[in-house]
Amino acid sequence: MTVQVSFYSYLKELTGASQVTEQLADGSTLGELHGRLIERFPKLEAMRRSTLLAVGVDYQGADYALRDGDQVSLFPPVQGG
Amino acid sequence: MSGRRMKTELTITREPLDETRLLRGRKASAGMGAVVYFLGVVRGTEEETSIRALDYEAFEPMARHQFELIFQQVAKRWPIESVRLVHRIGEVVVNEPSLWVEVVAPHRGEAFAACQYLIDEMKRLVPIWKRAVR
Repeated sequence: MTVQVSFYSYLKELTGASQVTEQLADGSTLGELHGRLIERFPKLEAMRRSTLLAVGVDYQGADYALRDGDQVSLFPPVQGG
Repeated sequence: MSGRRMKTELTITREPLDETRLLRGRKASAGMGAVVYFLGVVRGTEEETSIRALDYEAFEPMARHQFELIFQQVAKRWPIESVRLVHRIGEVVVNEPSLWVEVVAPHRGEAFAACQYLIDEMKRLVPIWKRAVR
C-alpha cells in the first residue's frame, strides 16, 4: 500500500521535505511507518519520542493499522497561542 | 443547558486582529452575566534572546478539527453560551496579539474555567507552531 506523509514545523528542515510517499506492506502500523521514516531520515531519530503522529485530522497511536491512501502527518509538540 | 446549544466561531487568519471590530461583534442573551476575554500577545524574548516577531504555522484542517473537538468538550463541561476564538498565523510582531478568545456564560466561574481549559487544550492538541524571527 501507499501512504502520503507530510512533515510540519522543523521536521521539514530535518527531512528536507514537506511531503513524501512511502510504500508499505499491507497491515503495517503507524509505528512501523515512523520507524521506516527514521531509517530514511536519520535526523528524525532525536525527535522519536516527542514526534506526534496523525492520520487525516486525528491523532493516532503507534499501533494504528494503516490503510492504502492514508494521509499521515508527523510534527513536533504543538505551540499555539 | 445542553452542550449542543453552544455557539462557536473559529477564525484562523493571516490578518492582524481587529480587537475593536471583534468587541463590537459581541452577542450575549439576557441570561448571560459573564464575558471573559483572553489575549495572547507575542513576547519580546524567546529562550532569553530578543526577537522581532513570531512566525506561526498551522496544519489548518487538523487545527480546525481539533479546535472543534475542544469546543465540544467545553460545551459538555460548562453551560457556555458562546465561544469565539481567533488565532493568527504568519508573522506576528512583538506586542501584537496572536490569540483572541471570548467566552460568554451565565456566571464568571464557568466563563473563566472554560477559557482556561480551552487555551490549555489548544496548547496540548492544536497543530500550530511558531518560530522566532530575530
